[in-house]
Amino acid sequence: MAIYSVGRRRIVIVLLLTSVLLLTLDLRGSAVLDRVRDVAAVSMTPVETAVDVVTSPVERAWESYTNYDELERENEALRERLARIEGSQAAAEAAIIDAQRIRELNELPSLAGIPTAVAEVVGASANNLDQIVEINKGSLAGVRVGQPVVNQAGLVGRVTQVFPTSAQVMLVIDRRFTIAVEILGGTGAAADPFAPVDTTLSGLTPDELNDAVNPTAAEPGPVITNPLDVLGGNDLPQSPLSPAVTTTTPSGEPVETAPPTTVPRPEDLPPAIPANGAPVQSRTGDATTTTSIPFEISSIEKEFGALKGDGQGKLPKVSLLQDNPSLSILQEGDLVATAGGSGSLAPPDIPVGRVVNRIDRPGVGGPVLEVELFADLEQLGFLRVVLFQPAEEAG
Amino acid sequence: MFAAFVQSSIIRLIPVGMVILAIQRALFIEHTVLDVKLQLVLAFVAACGVVGGSERGAVAGFSLGTLFDLIEGTPVGSTTIPMLVAGVVAGSLALITADPQWWLSAIFVALGAATGEAMMPVVRLFIGEESPWPRDTATVVFIVAISSAALSPLFVPIARWCLKLRRAEWVAPAETVG
Repeated sequence: MAIYSVGRRRIVIVLLLTSVLLLTLDLRGSAVLDRVRDVAAVSMTPVETAVDVVTSPVERAWESYTNYDELERENEALRERLARIEGSQAAAEAAIIDAQRIRELNELPSLAGIPTAVAEVVGASANNLDQIVEINKGSLAGVRVGQPVVNQAGLVGRVTQVFPTSAQVMLVIDRRFTIAVEILGGTGAAADPFAPVDTTLSGLTPDELNDAVNPTAAEPGPVITNPLDVLGGNDLPQSPLSPAVTTTTPSGEPVETAPPTTVPRPEDLPPAIPANGAPVQSRTGDATTTTSIPFEISSIEKEFGALKGDGQGKLPKVSLLQDNPSLSILQEGDLVATAGGSGSLAPPDIPVGRVVNRIDRPGVGGPVLEVELFADLEQLGFLRVVLFQPAEEAG
Repeated sequence: MFAAFVQSSIIRLIPVGMVILAIQRALFIEHTVLDVKLQLVLAFVAACGVVGGSERGAVAGFSLGTLFDLIEGTPVGSTTIPMLVAGVVAGSLALITADPQWWLSAIFVALGAATGEAMMPVVRLFIGEESPWPRDTATVVFIVAISSAALSPLFVPIARWCLKLRRAEWVAPAETVG
């Protein structure tokens, strides 16, 4: 018997050609294939649910066995970090409100006016090429292709495919992801946040640990005011640690306080950070917190470029930069945020990350900057889709 | 035509493929080996090729690859072609022996899966994706191949059931009388 008969070879060739035909049809956009895809997704749902029911207990048992020690350590570190952040939260909120008011006065677009949709990550790409996650909100919730997706830390990705009750989000690290960004040149000049330091088990320095335990002894430290805090309010599910926070008074007595659930009135807040970057002292109860920003705001120069993903395990890169030494030299530590613009699919000022490496290129190409993202893409739980409509579309 | 469809291997292949894809999506997206996602469906296609030969391997690769693309939202055909090739390559085992040992099956499942995984960025390159190569292509291909070989003792019997094939049985030649 001929194993490779003409008939058998013909079947393989026919299937191969059919695959190429399907690929061509899908790339050109076929309503039939889109419909088939919807049907396949619906048919797959009960199978996935059943498999999930069976595999979840096994998976949880395995995770609780393998990750218990790590979770303990992480929990301890997070408690320390939370206590430390409490001190600078009031000043940060005041700064955000001030920035909002200035923007309103100058009729500048603000993140606060853009509605968002909270969604949960329900899946991810099953292959080793795409960096895509699936969320449980779709066109019925107002999600559209191109809208940016963020978490509490910053930009996470962009919606690339929308179904009625779900959508696919391409992460910033995907090789096909590109977005216009601005680099705040000069923000990394004052301090080198990546210099090697002695750290404890929790990842905090001994001084930071001391601050966490005793807020009254807090040293001046940088405050990063996150514009995402005003984007859609506090509608992301809160950490189990949020309901009650225990702080220590100067006398050493632990005090349990409820976390702030709304943005406080301006008159209740400490003065905002002055433009010259001078430290601000604020009092919350018996605790005094001193906050400052580590750079001169007047020295910040914006530079614009294109952020492009570079695949899993690699840092996204910003290119198309024109480094101008007469204004500001782009360097490690500089902040990166979305640039916006009339045709941009994302509003301006969504925090993206911080420059961690500058690669100089010969010629007129300008430098390439490697950016460490604020958002931890390995730990995505709940996300917010910014229901942003570009100015060009809005008319 | 309906009877032919019901009696074909597709009727078993598709539901089993859906379950394997669901397991892959449920378990192996988060639990990776050296940041590499194990490819159960690809391993199963290669197992079908080992059991049924290149032709059936190609049919399995086409069916399950299309299913994978439809569910994953990737361009239909971009996973179909690598899986089809994986089935054909794994099916070339039939050129060597009709009744392979388990370890020989495992080697050819690994070979088919490795070829399929290596083909995926190539197809993406052809459809215009810029530098689709994963971080470390060699590591990805190696881990996918090894994991597929490890899964072959499980997948080969399932593939045999799906394709309605029985293991070859050697029968003693009938004694000639007179």
